[in-house]
Amino acid sequence: MIETPSRQPLALRAAWITPLGELLAPPRIAATAIRMVIQVFLVVYLWHGLYSHTSTNSGLDRGQAVTFAVLAVLITRIRGLDRSAGRDTVFQHVAYGTIVYWFLRPLAPRRYYVLRALGDQAYGSAWVVVGYAACLASGVIEPPASGTAAVACAASLLLGQAVLYELTLLTDLMCFWTTHNNSAVQMIQFAQNLLSGAYAPLWYFPAWFITMSSFLPFQSTLNTPLSLYIGRIPVRQAPGDLLFQAAWVAGLALISRLLWDRAARRVAVQGG
Amino acid sequence: MRPTMWRRFTEAWSVAWQITALNFRAQLEYRAEFLIQIAFGIVWQLSIIVFAAVLLAKFSGMGGWTSSQILLLVATRMLCNGLYVLYCGSVFSLAFLVQQGFVDGFLLRPMPVFRQVQLVAFQTNGIGDLLVGVGLFAGAIARSPLDWTAGRIAYLAAGVIGGTLLITAVFTAVSAAALHFPASWYWSLWIGEVSATFGSYPLSILPRAVGELLTWLLPIAFIAYLPVGVLTGHGAGLGVPVAVAACAPLAALAMYVGSRLLWNWSLRHYTGVNG
Amino acid sequence: MRGLTKIFHTTVRRPGFAGAVRSLIAPQRAAKTVVRDVSFDVARGELLALLGPNGAGKSTTIKMLTGILTPTRGEVAVAGMNPHLDRRRNAGNIGAVFGQRTQLWWDLPAKESFTILRSIYGVPAERHRARLAELDRLLELSEFWDTRVRHLSLGQRVRCDLAAALLHDPAIVFLDEPTIGMDVVVKEQVRGLLRHEVEQRGRAVLLTTHDMTEVERLAERVVLINHGRIVLDGSLEEVRREFGGTWRIHATIADSAAAAFSSPSQPVSARDLPAGLELFSQDRTEIVFAPVAASGDTPAITVPEALRAVVDRYPIVGISIEETDLEDAMRAAYLRQGVATAEPEPESGPEPETQPEPEIEADHDAGQVVS
Repeated sequence: MIETPSRQPLALRAAWITPLGELLAPPRIAATAIRMVIQVFLVVYLWHGLYSHTSTNSGLDRGQAVTFAVLAVLITRIRGLDRSAGRDTVFQHVAYGTIVYWFLRPLAPRRYYVLRALGDQAYGSAWVVVGYAACLASGVIEPPASGTAAVACAASLLLGQAVLYELTLLTDLMCFWTTHNNSAVQMIQFAQNLLSGAYAPLWYFPAWFITMSSFLPFQSTLNTPLSLYIGRIPVRQAPGDLLFQAAWVAGLALISRLLWDRAARRVAVQGG
Repeated sequence: MRPTMWRRFTEAWSVAWQITALNFRAQLEYRAEFLIQIAFGIVWQLSIIVFAAVLLAKFSGMGGWTSSQILLLVATRMLCNGLYVLYCGSVFSLAFLVQQGFVDGFLLRPMPVFRQVQLVAFQTNGIGDLLVGVGLFAGAIARSPLDWTAGRIAYLAAGVIGGTLLITAVFTAVSAAALHFPASWYWSLWIGEVSATFGSYPLSILPRAVGELLTWLLPIAFIAYLPVGVLTGHGAGLGVPVAVAACAPLAALAMYVGSRLLWNWSLRHYTGVNG
Repeated sequence: MRGLTKIFHTTVRRPGFAGAVRSLIAPQRAAKTVVRDVSFDVARGELLALLGPNGAGKSTTIKMLTGILTPTRGEVAVAGMNPHLDRRRNAGNIGAVFGQRTQLWWDLPAKESFTILRSIYGVPAERHRARLAELDRLLELSEFWDTRVRHLSLGQRVRCDLAAALLHDPAIVFLDEPTIGMDVVVKEQVRGLLRHEVEQRGRAVLLTTHDMTEVERLAERVVLINHGRIVLDGSLEEVRREFGGTWRIHATIADSAAAAFSSPSQPVSARDLPAGLELFSQDRTEIVFAPVAASGDTPAITVPEALRAVVDRYPIVGISIEETDLEDAMRAAYLRQGVATAEPEPESGPEPETQPEPEIEADHDAGQVVS
């Protein structure tokens, strides 16, 4: 019998699980690359097509619009890693009953979850960096509006990913209360897709829409960082936006922390 | 005495109908989920409309299509999608049915496996899709300046059926891979995204080469763009000969049959899931 | 553990379509007592079989022991720690395999899962390597641990799951129907492993199973649970003795004496059965004797005594002894408890403890693991 440690083990290997699963299957890597290339390709032409008769629209010129759209495609890769094919989403673990093992290990479920998310995000980020370098080199997208804009964008991106992590965590935690969390996931995904600017920069929408979405956390993932990048949001406005994002992260983190404790107490495993 | 083909046909439909009714009741058991799914379907489709409308308002001259024409295009695609979800939506996530061992069970029953996949659960989210699709479709027809002769109506109906069959064909073909590779789920997701995004635009705004890609490689154009294009008189600028475009519903039917054959072939080589 | 009780609250669904809609608006709740007042101890190096029909509350009990479920009432301690409150600290002490559910990562080769678990449990590399080699020797894992778990057969996967549960050297292992659906060869391997772990490594093993062969070959001690209550806690011998009689004597007697048994004019008492034996069945010359259950101050007859009595009394042509099937004994045990619970339950507190007071004391490593 081993000594029971008083602190949790670091268990960094847990972060490596999803990337390892992907790397062990070269066809999957190839498929991801193909989809990404085709998507970028289609998006570039779509926006060129839309801008064929105008030069500027809602404060964005063609170059900015294309850059925005392409970067949006790349960045949605970061959390685009869907673990459902690997039977590894929280929902599936609850459905199959294998969630029980999360609570039998010396690693707290919360920390395990964070490690997995970090690993996934790091892996996705590698794809983004590669894609970004390729697009920049081939002239498909423009370089950042300025050095400070690039820094602001990076900071905003980090916070945006933190917001996304918290939102995903909240929908995953819902699995412990309902046997289905599909609708919750879909709603968050829908709000995320629409309000983050993944389909189109929010600047094309009417003013009331932009105002509404500025109160919600969804735009922090894409719209804010990318708008900083292309210069649509001036750098001097950045600190305010970043602070707002950070506030959302803190607020959501508080809720999720409370819910984790409740969820642990609620583990109602099906069967026998 | 062997039952006649007609008899077997009606019996099969009767069984399918009964199962659907049971599935529907089963959905009602998860109370909040059922209501949310419908509401969500409606909201989701409405948002797509909003999105399309916004871009429409901001960007003039969408490849020469007027706003009422684009409305008809979007509405047709939406209606086709709603019908597809209700008819065959479960094929989208076939990878998970495989994972859970359902397909292994289906192979033991006297009903065709594909039909069992269709009947595995009631696709509640299709209700919302369909409600909005029908509403938008009605609105588009009302707003359209076209003269709705019997011929035009018949062609539009054929176009809707064809579009539904085509969407089904595309996802059936992908799901044929899902019988063997769980990672094909990511392809299903991606194709769904691309078809939702690009299926709502007149493809003439894209360069010729890209338009070709979306016509022949991933036949999104056949869903709504080609039939509606022919109807609204854009026959010349569709990127394919007018005759081909006009036969879009037939082509869709052919693709549907092809995809089912592909699926059956894939099923014959199915090796089952372990553990 | 003492007096473990678990009550679940579920929503009652009303039948019919109208009922389904009404359940949407005003759900009705019901309380169900799944485990009622369960108490027992498990010591180091002991293999305990937890038996009972489906729905008896076995899995619920195990979940309370592993800390997954909180008991509604009662207390549990594993190596001195409360599994629910000290869950993380206790995690190093326990290993578990829950039947059909795997803890391995579906998309990765089994070997990778082991490496990740090593990292999660904080096992030093050397120890991990040695342990893995040992488990490989016992379970032949290296033949398939490079395959993705998704592609493993059931037998292979369960073996990997067992290895995963034992990698970190836990003091107690909980196995919830681990060999269900496996072929005989693999079952033997698993039994060999469990025996090795219990005897050589001094692990405590708590096994839930329906397979009586397994119980016979592995368990020294058996706890029977039915309708959430403990029916019996003792050795296999005790089970047999209490619920089935342990043995039967099959005797073939000569034709002349057979008539005396079956003649209707002879009263039963004149059949002159030896004391302590009763007639189980008769088929002309084939007679089966069963021992009378011990009661009060009359001890049960032993096998040599019974044999001698039968041989002395009757002209025997052939004789054999048969041990009663454990399954029959189990069935009787399940059914007996079913009759007993037909009586109304007294609403008083916990039933009086019939076990002797265990030596819990602060010296955890010496004896008790679960208490």
